[in-house]
Amino acid sequence: MLAGQCCFKPATELYPGFAGTVAAVGALPSLAEGHRYSRTDRMAMAGARDAVADFDGPASDLRESGIVMASTVGGLSEIDAEISRGPAAWYRQGGLSRAASYPVSRVAASVAEHLGIEGPTCAVSVACASGAMAIALAANLLLDEAAPMVLAGGSDALCPFTLSGFNSLQALDPEPCRPFDQNRKGLNIGEGAAVLVLETLARATRRGARILAVLRGWAMTNDATHPTAPRKDGLGLACCIQRALEMAGCGIEDVGYVNAHGTGTPLNDIAETHAYESAFHGRSRPIPVSSTKSYFGHCLGAAGALEAAITITAMQTGALFPTLRLTDPIESSGIDWLRGELRRQPLPVAMSVSAGFGGSNAALVFGRSRA
Amino acid sequence: MKTTLPVLTGIGSVTPYGLLAGLISAEPLEPSVITAWSTPGLRRAFLVETFRPASIVPGLKTRRLDRLSAWALVASSLALRDAGIDLSYMDRSRIAVFFATGFGCVELTAAFYQSAATNGWAGTDPITFPETLSNAPASHVALFHDLRGPNVTLSSKSFAAESALLQGASLLRLGQADLAIVLAGDTLTQAVYEWYEAAHLLAPACFSNGPTFSADGFIPSEGVVAMVLEPAGRQTARSYAALGAGRWAAGGDVQAGVRQLLGDVRPDFILCAGNGAPCASSPVSSSACTIAGETEVIPAQAVATGMGEAGALLHLLLALSKRPGQGPALLLGTSAHGGFAALRLELF
Repeated sequence: MLAGQCCFKPATELYPGFAGTVAAVGALPSLAEGHRYSRTDRMAMAGARDAVADFDGPASDLRESGIVMASTVGGLSEIDAEISRGPAAWYRQGGLSRAASYPVSRVAASVAEHLGIEGPTCAVSVACASGAMAIALAANLLLDEAAPMVLAGGSDALCPFTLSGFNSLQALDPEPCRPFDQNRKGLNIGEGAAVLVLETLARATRRGARILAVLRGWAMTNDATHPTAPRKDGLGLACCIQRALEMAGCGIEDVGYVNAHGTGTPLNDIAETHAYESAFHGRSRPIPVSSTKSYFGHCLGAAGALEAAITITAMQTGALFPTLRLTDPIESSGIDWLRGELRRQPLPVAMSVSAGFGGSNAALVFGRSRA
Repeated sequence: MKTTLPVLTGIGSVTPYGLLAGLISAEPLEPSVITAWSTPGLRRAFLVETFRPASIVPGLKTRRLDRLSAWALVASSLALRDAGIDLSYMDRSRIAVFFATGFGCVELTAAFYQSAATNGWAGTDPITFPETLSNAPASHVALFHDLRGPNVTLSSKSFAAESALLQGASLLRLGQADLAIVLAGDTLTQAVYEWYEAAHLLAPACFSNGPTFSADGFIPSEGVVAMVLEPAGRQTARSYAALGAGRWAAGGDVQAGVRQLLGDVRPDFILCAGNGAPCASSPVSSSACTIAGETEVIPAQAVATGMGEAGALLHLLLALSKRPGQGPALLLGTSAHGGFAALRLELF
């Protein structure tokens, strides 16, 4: 991303008749041989393993940790359409264990099994806002003292089910997407997983942990407007942003960067633009905004967690990632669309924003650690 | 009835017991014969009878929804009615919806697969696709009632409903919402039933008119239960119970975990929540009995056990409907896979 490279490739093999652009993860490390885990499960397990690789605290803390994992696809990647012609026959052909990976709860349970975690474990499935909501709910678990640490994130695999669904909605751009561009045509589906380790600042400081960022505020709202389309004026998302800033104790001037949901669909991007104009109205300088889905596509349930990780990376490196292929941005006097060259500037506070089908919105406000 | 804890003020349910606001009869049910798809012989389950949602909630349009979304809409409406809540006087941006499910919108997922099998992946139905998402029922609840607060759908191996109840109560305690509607449910489809059967999880009573409690499996069930939670002191109507501390865990020592949760509190009742485990040998029963001592144990009922990880709200509803009395209680769920969920309650 620092080099401005994106992960998109043309794809034709995902199902007959599909010709589009996707961002796929390569071969996954071999994990837990002898068990049947879906591709979504295995990406989640690999992400979680990496997230705790440097953990040097007491083993009991890891064992008692909580897990909140987001997914929309779950084990759908393992199930083919033939199941609808006769479930029992499909199961007899070896589909029984594949079908067992179908519920999204398996994603969280797989991480727990892989790392030997025995704390509170759940999966969140709130369409494309899932990953950010997983982090918000994990933070609530910490406030409730339900676990010493919580692993929070999301994972979703590419599969014909979702590609076909978005294709049927005519929401896909056959070319690499152009979020916030006036000539945007839709989104590209990606896949991936990201897992963050959350603990209270007091506890992390006490154990001398390397603190990557402080989650200062979070909020979740719903548009309650339409089953799929966002509220056109963006007020549901704007309310979410304002509540997250309120919890963070931040004003609109404090935020240096917004990692946007920015799918590249006509409806989402204009609604989101209105949300930023509303939420940051009165700010002395336009708010810097970019969509990093222009690098790796829309990873659905994993998107919010991946983009939270990228927001934290931006804060750590002072690198504000531009939206790729944004040549003719939506006109807005209140928004500083990041495009072209990578911008570098100190970033004490940044925000990651997600939204999804069903009207759900989530906003996370991160601050740099003082440590 | 003075408490500082979140309280349960409304219940709505769409279950094999019928469509009800408030408590239900709680008499043991017999499973029904499955007729929705052709079966190789007698197959039984606890089923929700077909009904017209608009006859219960005027103006409700559910033609394009699957049963799970329709039931969630009806159950949430009944729960709000039972709680005596007039939403027009509330800040709807501070009303949360938590929905717990094991399989989500599996009916329309099956329909989407059917369209792919028939027309190819390039010919699937755009109307159906968004309704396959697990959060569709909770979104429809928000849309119908204009609820603009947090809207969360979650799933947890064995403990989805308990998890939703705990996280909904947490949102109230943390001041992130003024009211929470917690729902839990699933629908039973051919694919799910045949998966249970192929995995040898079903009780003999699924295949004959035998006793419903068995050590050899469970009887699948379906439905949605909705519960309205309000912060302490806000409610003006009667409350069923106050929700105290709780926890759920994927593993560990059940008894040690529950004792840690209880501290010095000795519950008068333990309300058992079995989660798809064989009824008679459910680990919840043995754990509850060990923990109980002199405490009265309200056993799990087969109709709620059959709802698997989404069954705890029905377990709680059935236990409340039996009216064991007033005082401190513990809702306890355990799983054959390990782990537990426990919630301290004060019954009114």
